[in-house]
Amino acid sequence: MALQVKREEFGDAVVLGVEGSVDIYSSPELRGELKLALDKQAPRIVIDLAGVSFIDSSGLATLIEGLQKVKVYSGNLVLCELTQTVLGVFQLANLDHIFTIKETRESALAN
Amino acid sequence: MRLASDVAYLGPLRTMVRESCSLVGFDSAAGEEIVLAVQEGAANVIRHCYGGCSDNPIDMWILFGENELTIELVDYGTFVDPSQIKSRKLEEVRPGGLGVHLMQKVMDEVNFEQNPAGGTTLTLRKRVPAADPQTGGS
Repeated sequence: MALQVKREEFGDAVVLGVEGSVDIYSSPELRGELKLALDKQAPRIVIDLAGVSFIDSSGLATLIEGLQKVKVYSGNLVLCELTQTVLGVFQLANLDHIFTIKETRESALAN
Repeated sequence: MRLASDVAYLGPLRTMVRESCSLVGFDSAAGEEIVLAVQEGAANVIRHCYGGCSDNPIDMWILFGENELTIELVDYGTFVDPSQIKSRKLEEVRPGGLGVHLMQKVMDEVNFEQNPAGGTTLTLRKRVPAADPQTGGS
C-alpha cells in the first residue's frame, strides 16, 4: 500500500495522519512532510499512525530524526494510534520508552 | 523467486513472506516479525551489497521445514563482512543501525555467508513455537 500523509493543524499542533507502509521505499515522503513541520518549528507535532500497517527500520529512523530535531527547538513530537504490529516494532527496537506514545489522537493533542 | 534490487518491490516480497509464515503455522504477530526481519535483510542487500543500484538480482528461497521456516536471500554484489554489519547499542538513540538488531532479535538464526562466486547468502531461520498442551495454541 502506497504511503499517504495527511497534514492538519489544530492550534499550535501539526498533525500528520499517516496511512500505508512506512519503509525504505516510502519513508522519504514522511521525512519530507515532517521536515515541513520542523522547518516551521511547530511547537507540537503529532504523528497519527492508525493507518500504518507496517514500519521498518527506515521508518523508525525517520521518526528518530524528527524527535531529535524537534528537541533542538524544545518542541514536542508525539506518536499516537499505533497498531499492535507497529507498537511491536517499537518494542523490538526499545524505542517505546524513547517516544511519547499516546493511545488516541485526542490524548496526543492534549499532551 | 527472483526480484530486482529495487526498494519498490519490497512490498510484494513482504506479501509472499507473510503468506508463507501463515502456511507454516506462525500466528499473525510472529509472522509480522519474520516479515520485518526479511525486509531488513533485503533492504541491507540493496543498500550495502548493491550500493543502492536497483537493477541487480536478489534471489529469495523460502524453505518449508517441519515447524520451521527458512528464508535465504542471495545476492551477487559486494560481500559485506558480517563483522562490519554491527547493530548499534540500543541506548544510542540515533537513526540507522537497527536492521541487524531487528533480524537477530526476531529470528532463531541469522547467518551471513560469502558465496564462492561472489555475493552473500543471508539465511534467516525461525521455528514455530511448540503448542501449549493446556490451550492447544502456540
